Amino acid sequence: MFSIIFTWVIVAWGAIACIYMLRCAWTRFPKRDVDADDVIPFLYPVDISLAESLLDPATEFECRWRLEPRRFRKAQRKRMRLYLELTRRMAHNARVLVEYAEAEKNSCDPRRMSVAAAVQEKAIGVRLYSLLTGIKLRFWLLLRTDILNSKPVMAHLRTTGDIDGLETYGALKTAAAAAFMKLPPDAIDSLTRNL
Amino acid sequence: MSLIVWYIPLALLVLLLGVLLRRRAYGVSPCFFSYVAFGVAAGVARFVVRHHASAYYGTYWITEAGYDLLGILVMYEVLRTVLGSLTRAWWARLIFPAVLVMGFSLSLARSHEVPHRLVGILFNIVLGETAVRFVQVLVFAGLVTLVPLLGLRWRQYSFGVATGFGLYATVMLLATTKYSDFGTRFKFLWDVTSLVAYSLAVLIWIWFFSVPQKAQTPSSELSAPSPGDLKQYKDALRRMR
Repeated sequence: MFSIIFTWVIVAWGAIACIYMLRCAWTRFPKRDVDADDVIPFLYPVDISLAESLLDPATEFECRWRLEPRRFRKAQRKRMRLYLELTRRMAHNARVLVEYAEAEKNSCDPRRMSVAAAVQEKAIGVRLYSLLTGIKLRFWLLLRTDILNSKPVMAHLRTTGDIDGLETYGALKTAAAAAFMKLPPDAIDSLTRNL
Repeated sequence: MSLIVWYIPLALLVLLLGVLLRRRAYGVSPCFFSYVAFGVAAGVARFVVRHHASAYYGTYWITEAGYDLLGILVMYEVLRTVLGSLTRAWWARLIFPAVLVMGFSLSLARSHEVPHRLVGILFNIVLGETAVRFVQVLVFAGLVTLVPLLGLRWRQYSFGVATGFGLYATVMLLATTKYSDFGTRFKFLWDVTSLVAYSLAVLIWIWFFSVPQKAQTPSSELSAPSPGDLKQYKDALRRMR
């Protein structure tokens, strides 16, 4: 009985995947031209120093030391929600940059294509980190950490699935800087602010 | 149906082999290239011995076992290519064995529920074939799920290979499930479905391999940037810090 159910689930999943691929193939025309104007205004600012402080074990230890358990758990949930928002922004920015890189790969210039490949590689890393961290954080928030005696440690989120989130996001920023270096200084400033 | 119709997939496979040779796909996807070359050889062998019942019987089952083995190797290659550039985490290496175990478990469970006429080695070949279908659908559906989640490029050779196998395996699993419900009345429809699905899969592969693959990884062979470029790059980075 279970094998029949599983078979149908897998067949349905395969059928949905086929439909999705058909849609991808169908909608690839017309090709969208993506330039800097399609990137910079769409980026959400990510406060890296805030992320650093949220993942800092010393800050967390201090909070744990200073606050009574009930207040600490409340503060910890706030910190988790804040970091979840930051990872969401990172994932969004990575998505915007992936689209830009995808368009850049159509160029004939090998340097631009190489830079675009670097941006895409780092962006996928950031999205994978955001996905895994998001699942972890949602799970912790869903379980209500106060039941689990405030076990989750935010500092452990720095590396998820062997990916150092902040380091990978930094590498994405560097790759983006290389991709946008031909832009005028004010556009670079906007990129700096928004990334 | 006329003989020509039955050999449409073979003709398409020959065309695909030509496309793969032109794109030098033996370097990019050696297992898939071997699969296609084997498919052409198996098709020709079956065609040659089609009037000799016992020789055809032997050739058919030997080539089916070869398809099973190469099918698994191709799926391993697809997963290694896609996940290799994605993550170097230790758990990424467990994905393929987990999928394989799942596929074989489901195939075994199905063989217990649906009565089989085959015994011995032939039973094992059919068991392996069903397991490979499960593995192909799981790998394909899993990879397609990652496209919107991670923003992966779907227009790459690995996705093309997975899509062809995924489509064919999905249709065949569906057809096999219905075949066990309807019995031998379904045989003709099953044959036609398999023929059409496989031809579609080969057409998908031809379509994917008909265009050169864009750069997947940053190239290290490019010449060094000019001092002006470097200065601009340093300025951009300085502003970002």
